[in-house]
This record gives sequence, C-alpha cells and structure tokens, in this order.
Amino acid sequence: MAITDLTIVRRSMTVRLFSTVTTILMVGVAVALMLTLLALKDATRNAFSRGTGNMHLLVSADSSPLVSVLNGVFYANPPARPIEWAKYGQLVRAAPWEFFIPTQLGDSYLGSPVLASTTEFFSKFEPNAGEPWSFVDGRAFEKPFEVVVGSTLAGTSGLKLGDTIYLTHGIASSRQMGNPDAAKPHVHTDFAYTVVGILAPTGSAHDRALFTDLDSTWIIHAHDRRKREAPDTVTTTVEDLTDADRKITGILARVATRPGSDVSSAIPATAYRLRADPTITVAMPKTEIDRLFAIVSNIDKVFIAMAVVVIFSSGISITLALYNSMEQRRRQIAVLRVLGSSRARILRLVLVESALLGVLGCALGLTVSLVGGQAGASVLKAQLGIFLDPMLPSTPTVLVLGGTTLLAMLAGLIPAIMAYRTPVAKNLKPIA
Amino acid sequence: MPDALRITDLSYTYPGATAPVVRVPSLSLAPGEQILLAGSSGRGKSTLLQLIAGLLDPTAGTVEIDGVAIHSLRAAKRDLYRGAKIGMIFQTFNLLSGFSALENVMAPMMFSAVPRREHRDRAAALLKSLGIERVNAEPDQLSVGQQQRVAVARALACDPVLVLADEPTASLDPENAVAAMDLIQNACRERNAALLCTSHDPRTADRFLRRASLDELAATPAGTH
Repeated sequence: MAITDLTIVRRSMTVRLFSTVTTILMVGVAVALMLTLLALKDATRNAFSRGTGNMHLLVSADSSPLVSVLNGVFYANPPARPIEWAKYGQLVRAAPWEFFIPTQLGDSYLGSPVLASTTEFFSKFEPNAGEPWSFVDGRAFEKPFEVVVGSTLAGTSGLKLGDTIYLTHGIASSRQMGNPDAAKPHVHTDFAYTVVGILAPTGSAHDRALFTDLDSTWIIHAHDRRKREAPDTVTTTVEDLTDADRKITGILARVATRPGSDVSSAIPATAYRLRADPTITVAMPKTEIDRLFAIVSNIDKVFIAMAVVVIFSSGISITLALYNSMEQRRRQIAVLRVLGSSRARILRLVLVESALLGVLGCALGLTVSLVGGQAGASVLKAQLGIFLDPMLPSTPTVLVLGGTTLLAMLAGLIPAIMAYRTPVAKNLKPIA
Repeated sequence: MPDALRITDLSYTYPGATAPVVRVPSLSLAPGEQILLAGSSGRGKSTLLQLIAGLLDPTAGTVEIDGVAIHSLRAAKRDLYRGAKIGMIFQTFNLLSGFSALENVMAPMMFSAVPRREHRDRAAALLKSLGIERVNAEPDQLSVGQQQRVAVARALACDPVLVLADEPTASLDPENAVAAMDLIQNACRERNAALLCTSHDPRTADRFLRRASLDELAATPAGTH
C-alpha cells in the first residue's frame, strides 16, 4: 500500500504516543462530560415525570400546587393539612371523573412513607401512563391491615409475603433521625399489618413506599383518639369511626377524556373551577414538574457552560501538544518539502492531525457517555430504583461532536502555520 | 535532449549582506554527467544546492532543470517539479523517523506522478538493487551504511534527472565513504541521472572527471563551464 497523507499523520501521532493519548483523553473526557450532561438533562426530567402516571390533577390542602406534588407524588413530607371526607364527597360530584382516588399520607415504616388509599389505587391509577401496577409477588390489598410494599423498600428492608409489620405515626424528619434527644416516635403496636404484595419497580418514588387501605389507617388513628378519651379501650373497628376520623391528605384525579388522550380542554377547565374553592389546592402534576425544571434549568446551564469551558481547554491542549511537537518535526517537515511536498500540503497535514485528535477524542467521549450512561442507569435502577434513560439527544450530540472536531482543527491552526513557515534549508543542516 | 542542469548568471546574496555568497556565471550538466563541487565548509556549497533545488530564490540568474527554469514555477508546482526531477542526498541522510526503509523510499513517490499501486514494488526493487534486505526496518535499526543506501534509494525513487549530494561522506569513516561514493555514482550512472556532489574531502576528488570549486566557478566567464 502506498504512503498517504493519513499514513504520515498516523505515524506522527504514534511517534509521540504519550502526548497523543493524553490529548485524546482530554478531549474525550470533555466530550463525555458534555454529552452526559445533555443526556442527564432530559433523562432527569423524564425520571421526575415518572410517578405522576395517568392522573390529570392532584388535589390536596397543601400550601401550593408545587408542594402538593412534592408531597403527593414524591412523598417529600406528610401534608400538613387534611381534607375532610365530606369535602371529598362534595368534590367527587363536581366533575365527570374517570377516577377520583382518595389518599392519606402520614404514617411510615422504617422511615418509608405509607400511603393509604382505596383498591382503585391499584386498579385505575397507573404509576406511569400506560404501565399499570405489576406485582413480583402477591397481590393488592383487599381488606384492612393488608399492606403492599414498593420494590426498592422490599429490597432494602427484606420484607416478604406474610411478614407482619407495625406502622410508625408520622414520618421521621431528618432532625429526628439519629438524634437520641428527639421525641420517640409513636408506633401503632396495637395493629399488625400483613404484607400481601411486593410491587415490581416503577422507576418512581412509589418504589420506596408502602400501600394500605384507608379504613385501617383511619382505625389506628381513631384507636389512639379513643384510648386518649378512654384508656381502657381494647380495640377499634370501622364501626367506631366518626366523620372526624375519616380524613385524607390527597386525591389523585383523572378527568374523563377521550380514551388514550391526555390532552383535553376539560383538564385545565376543571382545575380552574376547583380552584375557586379556597380550602383546597389543585395541582396539574406535569405542569408543576415543568415549573420545577424551569427553576433548576439555570443550574443545568451553569453545568453546560462549565463543560463548554472544559471542551475549549481540551482545544488548547491540542494546540500545546502540536506546538510542542513542532520542534521535533521541523526536520521531518523540511525533508517532506525537499521530497516534493508543498507548503499547503504541510499545513493540511497538521490540520488533519489536529482534527483527527478531535475525532478520536469525540469517539472516546461518545463511547464513555453511552457505555457509562447505561452502566450508571443500571446501577441506579438496581440500587435506588431510579429509572434514568440516558438517551443522547440527536441534534445537540451532532452539534457537540461536530463543534469539537471543528474546534480541534482550529486548535491546530497555529502549529499548522508554524509548519507552513518552516524554513527548509535551515532545518536540513546536520545536527551539531 | 535538454541539459539535466543549466545555470546562467546565478548569484545569491544573504539578506543584509553586501557580497554574494554564491556566484556562478555558467554551469551545465548533461544527463548522466557527474561533477564534484569541492571546497571547505562555509563557502556556499550547500546554498548553491538549495538554489538549484528551488528551496532558495536567487538574487539574480536562472537555474534550469531538464529545460525548465525552476524559479519561474509557482511555489506548489516548483515543489512538485523538484520532487519529480531532483533527488537529494544529505550528509546525515535525513531519513524519516518512525517510517520503515521501504516507506522512506515510497515517501517521495506520494508527491509524484508514479501510480500509487506501483509505489511498494518499485521501492522494494530499488532497495533490493542497493542491497537492503530488511526493508521493514526503521532507520535506527539499520547500520550507518545501510541508512546511506536507503537515502540513495530515496533520492532515486522518482527517476530524477539530477541528484544533488551534499557532503554525502562527511559523517562516514574512510572505508564506508568509499563504498558510499561507489554506490551513489554507480546508481546515478545506471539510471542516467546527472550528479552534482559537494565535498571537502580531498580523497573524493579523484572519483570525478569534472571538478570545480565555487571560486573557480565564479571566475569562469559565462557559457564556458
């Protein structure tokens, strides 16, 4: 095979292997960083969108729609204010709902939230739109004091079917955790729950929660009330519940729309109508998550700006690597000129070399971000139950790769001009 | 057939200097002819070779290679013409490091009209004819004598009409110097390439029928040498 320009470039790179490899690594790391940030930007947003599922509205008595979503979807805190059961009855008649599922959040098990609801929670609400609940073991709760365990919690706690657990009143705050002086949490020891189902992963916050029915939750709190009123109270049943005991903290609602459609003017119209009631907060979860990301998108921009700076630094490293190599290459350039190479061709050789460093760096960065992204996503899914799908966005990826290659070529411009101007006669003299 | 080399009223003065370092009123070499340009170091021999190769622009005069005034060509064409018509041999060989002996001989062909599919075979045959068997060895894996042979093969790779040898024996011991000169002169004769060799080694002088120093060339009236 004949010698080509690419042969010369390749040899030039292999002769200075250490410098070549470190330069490619620098470009690769910069590109991988940028691509990973771009991939995570969308993947994180998608991951946050999981869990809102097929609900259109989230009704609560929280202070704002965003707080309502943080508490009701991500179990950030137990809602501070409840909704009376009578209000639920009033609201359920306010619109033609596809589902209107009451929920109550307030107890916990080993620090994980316990969500009480009705059987519709498993039959009608889907944690991810189009993906109904799925059980790896057992079934949904059917009667009081049965509990279903989310996949992540099942993994970390070791809970299995038939296990008996006791719920703790409230959710331990970070100040209480590990603080011996904090008030000891109250455990509902009078009522044992039996694990009847283990959920499959959903990639949402639901994976670290437990689910039980509303009646049993109301009963254990009514029992506490009754014991305060009459310390000799032995047990409490549904029949003992008063209207004041029947409290909920949230309602997952889906407006009746055309089958399979999540876009309907009825959704915002219904939300608008419900918001006339000052005692409740009505959130459109997807809108609130968009608002949340609008707030944090500035942080994204800062990270991406830093990645751009790192890419420019890698361009400077190409300039330095080629600039430093020029001293060793002057003789080779002079010889090539004598053999018939034009100045323009010498210039082109250096530019091709710098572009090739960029291309190889891009290939490395792309591989690292793809393989690393998938590996990271697998670890997050396996250990934390977080579903991240680090898909590289096509247009930004092409722009990053193309831009980096162009930058690499521009980085070679100064060394290329030096090569172009290499005086032949001076550099052919024998070395003293 | 035009002369391999024809110089007319050539002079070169370094920028800022007053006297020319090279002045050659007339010099011509027929195809296959060989001449030794003798003289001590620093007298302008290498500068003359660079002027002939078109690597330096003369202050005055013309240099014709195979009938074409090399300095009249535009830079890129001049580079290609030099690669096709002139072979150069250097005192320190100037082989390309990182390239094998075979690749060193193939290198000038990439700038020539020699078809690409012929490069490898042609370079291999040339090296073999000059006694190099380890064609895939890199320069630093070869002896000094072998490096010299590779340098000669590279100079002859594109069938030049003129070979310029700049002090080719200066870094060799006497025994190797004789062998190197035998090699260069015989290779040029076999290919009918003219040879202009510079040397300050007096033992080399007897090998050439035509000999001159730069001073003698400068003193020669135009059209007589």
